[in-house]
Amino acid sequence: MLALRLLWRNWRSGEVKLLAAALLLAVAVVSGIAIFTDRLQHTLVQESNALLGADKVVRGSHPHDPVWNQAAEEAELHHTTATNFASMIYAGEHMHLASVKAVGEGYPLRGQLETSTTPFATEPDQIEIAKGIPAPGEAWADSRLLPLLHLQLGDKVAVGEYELRITRVLIREPDSGNPFSFLGARLLMNAADLPLTQVVQPGSRVQYQWLLAGEPSAIERFSTWLEPHLNPHQQLVDVSGNQRGLGRTLDTGRRFLLLAAVIGVLLAGVALALAARQFANRHVDQVALLKSLGTSSGRIRRLYFAQLFALALVASVLGLLVGEILQRVVAEGLWQAYQIRLGSATLYPYLISLASGMICLLFFALPALWFLPFVPPMKILRRELAVSSLQLWLQVALAFLAVLLLVLLFSQDLGLALSVIGALTGVFAITGLLAFGLLRLSRRLAGGAGSVWRLALANLQRRREQTLVQIVVFATAIMLLLTLTIVRTSLLDDWQGQLPEDAPNHFLVNIPVHEVNTIRQLIDERRYQHQPLYPMVRGRLTHINGVELSETSVAREGVFNREANLTWTDTLADDNKVVAGKWWPQWQSQHGLPGVSVEEEMAEEAGLRPGDRLTFSLGGLSMEAEIASLRTLDWRSMRPNFFFIFAPGSLDEYSPTYITSLHLPAADKAFINELLRAHPTVLVIELDRIIGQIRTIVNQVSDGVQLVLWLTLAGGCLVLLAAVTSSIEARKQEVGLLRALGSPRRLMLGSVWLEFSVLGLLAGIIAVLGAEILLASLQHWVLETPIKPHVLFWFAGPLLSAVLIGGLGMLSCRSVVNTPPAIVLREAA
Amino acid sequence: MSSTPLMSSTPMVAASGLVKTVTTYEGALTILQDISLEVAKGESLAIVGASGSGKSTLLGILAGLDLPSSGSVSLNGHILTNLDEEGRARVRAENVGFIFQSFQLLPGLTALENVLLPLELHGVDNARTAAADFLGRVGLSQRLHHYPQQLSGGEQQRVAIARAFASNPRVLFADEPTGNLDSTTGARIIELLFELNRELGTTLVLITHEDRLAQRCQRRIELSAGRLLASVENV
Ligand SMILES: Nc1ncnc2c1ncn2[C@@H]1O[C@H](COP(=O)(O)OP(=O)(O)OP(=O)(O)O)[C@@H](O)[C@H]1O
Ligand SMILES: [Mg+2]
Repeated sequence: MLALRLLWRNWRSGEVKLLAAALLLAVAVVSGIAIFTDRLQHTLVQESNALLGADKVVRGSHPHDPVWNQAAEEAELHHTTATNFASMIYAGEHMHLASVKAVGEGYPLRGQLETSTTPFATEPDQIEIAKGIPAPGEAWADSRLLPLLHLQLGDKVAVGEYELRITRVLIREPDSGNPFSFLGARLLMNAADLPLTQVVQPGSRVQYQWLLAGEPSAIERFSTWLEPHLNPHQQLVDVSGNQRGLGRTLDTGRRFLLLAAVIGVLLAGVALALAARQFANRHVDQVALLKSLGTSSGRIRRLYFAQLFALALVASVLGLLVGEILQRVVAEGLWQAYQIRLGSATLYPYLISLASGMICLLFFALPALWFLPFVPPMKILRRELAVSSLQLWLQVALAFLAVLLLVLLFSQDLGLALSVIGALTGVFAITGLLAFGLLRLSRRLAGGAGSVWRLALANLQRRREQTLVQIVVFATAIMLLLTLTIVRTSLLDDWQGQLPEDAPNHFLVNIPVHEVNTIRQLIDERRYQHQPLYPMVRGRLTHINGVELSETSVAREGVFNREANLTWTDTLADDNKVVAGKWWPQWQSQHGLPGVSVEEEMAEEAGLRPGDRLTFSLGGLSMEAEIASLRTLDWRSMRPNFFFIFAPGSLDEYSPTYITSLHLPAADKAFINELLRAHPTVLVIELDRIIGQIRTIVNQVSDGVQLVLWLTLAGGCLVLLAAVTSSIEARKQEVGLLRALGSPRRLMLGSVWLEFSVLGLLAGIIAVLGAEILLASLQHWVLETPIKPHVLFWFAGPLLSAVLIGGLGMLSCRSVVNTPPAIVLREAA
Repeated sequence: MSSTPLMSSTPMVAASGLVKTVTTYEGALTILQDISLEVAKGESLAIVGASGSGKSTLLGILAGLDLPSSGSVSLNGHILTNLDEEGRARVRAENVGFIFQSFQLLPGLTALENVLLPLELHGVDNARTAAADFLGRVGLSQRLHHYPQQLSGGEQQRVAIARAFASNPRVLFADEPTGNLDSTTGARIIELLFELNRELGTTLVLITHEDRLAQRCQRRIELSAGRLLASVENV
């Protein structure tokens, strides 16, 4: 095919290499990011689901309808059950109100059960991942159950009417249940034994779980089907509801990756447009010649577009390959560093990548080449004949359209796409204006300068339009890179800040009043960081302003409908902030009731305001309180947090237990055993595993962010290179001429270097200014992280950009300056 | 290729009442005024005149690269002025070859590929051998794979001639084909041109400043400020 032959010849003469590189990079950026985020997303969902034990769980006070089993199987889902209840269990004369869980075959569907033969085992080689569930007649127990009941492994315990042999200790399990609802030590048994115990009777308090797992799409379809069949006592739960803080971190991370991808593609797109322009300018003569030889415009269009598409196809496939390799490298790095295996990607990101290659081609490269078929054949006789290319504004508008399309493809979020476009428009307008102003200023300053300076500045002035375009391109590229770098750093800081090294990683719950002092002493002796010991009473909200909860709009909301932890304190924790009403000393009751402070989001859901009356049921007793204040609090802080805080003393008569959280260094894990041996009633909730999980996730996202940053950086460099080489192209002849007239090499190189350095400096200044504006709006509206100035960049940005662009300019000009003028002139002609 | 049935008496190129005006910043400018001429098949015509007299403009219009403001042009029986650009392109493809002052070889292509280009565009069989053959005829069989940069001005012009004749045109237009060459090299190029003109019966229309070249043509016309001054028959 002729087009392919021409393409090959163009390739050989180096005219399409930049074009190909830009296209390849665009696709590599998109594919690297898209595939990686896709895999990351799957992994994250799977990992968090391991905490739940399933992808989705139907939870409620009634067992699930057995008819659903068949429906689930037809939908190719795995399913099993878990039944939670509190039951007094006996061993000889000892007894304990244990938290029993009876599980069906296959439990857990996600995550795993870790067991050991050594109570309180912490060493990895003592811990074993269970291959199934306890056999009928057997049970696995929490380590602390053994000292509580004075048991050894192999002993029997009585659960209701049935005896179970304890064969292993349970070290860890996935659990979606609220850890506060069952405070006893865990006993895990086989669901087959449940009827034999006869403990579960009509009316007893039992939480039934039906666990589901399968392909995401199948799960979704099944959920939609199931939802209408649930009765009011059943809820369909997944992880997203469970971990708010983590969800936000992930969301921010995803948005960043998206933003970076867009910026990367945009940079690659600009490089592509510049390269295409250069290609087109070089080919005006060729087209004129082809036309004089009798080639029609249509034929020329087909010839060139066919070349372009062939090039795009090859570059896209190679770009996809590069992206794939890059994301594999990062994924492998994750495996090396954190032993995390990423899930496999779906087809979608691959399709997006190929599509984005075509979009870049259509919207960035084609407009620049559009005029080629219209080159008049007379151009062959009259070289100076002007050729009208596509209007610049139209090209820019098309480029914006491309960005819009790409963002939509990526995020399927029109709002986000439009705001990106808005920001870009602002950026271009600001850079254009600034560049114009600075250029005028530099002309004034150039008046009394030396010859190198004069030559350099005169060059900039003479090609004012080109210079302006170049500054805008340089500035935009640098600005986007700066923005990305800073956003990345502050994001990582923000995430690390959310989880400081000494964040509490264990909760101690159910501390009896008489053990409070000894336990506080024990912790203080070890100098562990801990929160105050809060008294805690379990209670349920029954009335709002005298109206029964079941009659209100929030009757079915989870937070209102279950038992809550109630506390009292006189000092507010420092991450709590009163946003309405007053804190205790300043507060005055309107109804002569004890005061209560309510968490703000919850209050908002139910439309609660200070002065409203709430009635609670506490262990069968009812008490009324008046809302004194609304508070915000930080759910990510890993401290004891409460929806309801009462005025000191108001809950004294309801026999509280105490709760606290502390930071336990990893090496001191054995302290828990010591504590539990001495105080077996205490329930320890280990958050270290969850925290570890959050850390890994943060690390994963950070690594992704890093990769993206490198890719974008490559895009930025390509833009700079494209812009510099295209302007070198334009001055070949001039340099040759000046050299022929006897300008010394040093003067030529010096003025080129200066010219580009000044260009870089101006672009750098604009870039820093723009980046600050861009950053402020991004952090405010998109990423929701705090805004602060970056003084270091104010100096480093312009300087670096001057050095970089000056260097690039001199480097690409060297060959021209160094070749004998005769050859340069001959080539340029 | 062409199937136009023609009587031998129809001229290869005919123009009547050609006027060319362009609009510039200073207003309308008339470059060519009322030019009529005919070039018979196989004839050779030289266009001479001072710089800026409108020679290139006239050549472009005669060859169908450009349109006159008024008047009509026909080429091998096709009325160019009635055709659109696509139609004129077709006529050019079938009938016309060009040689230019600045040789217009594509720098990225080798000598052979430059000659190949029109043949490939026209879908000629055995394009490669034909192109190599023509390069041999202009004495460049040793330089097939050299790039234009590696060739001297005269060699480049010989490649351009090979390219122009390779597609076997009925009429060859040349704009100062020897303008950039020293007189010896120029003389050789002229020899080559007329040799091929004789051998293939190609009609020649060329612009030149050189008397020697103008003398070799059967006829010469002189332009002055866009007007046809004289038409001289050489003997
Ligand atoms: N498109 C145009 N716009 C403006 N002026 C034009 C245009 N085309 C030709 N001219 C002018 O018309 C005049 C004739 O141009 P042309 O190139 O035909 O001259 P020429 O005889 O070939 O001169 P030379 O011997 O120097 O090549 C010149 O003054 C030129 O500037
Ligand atoms: Mg001319």
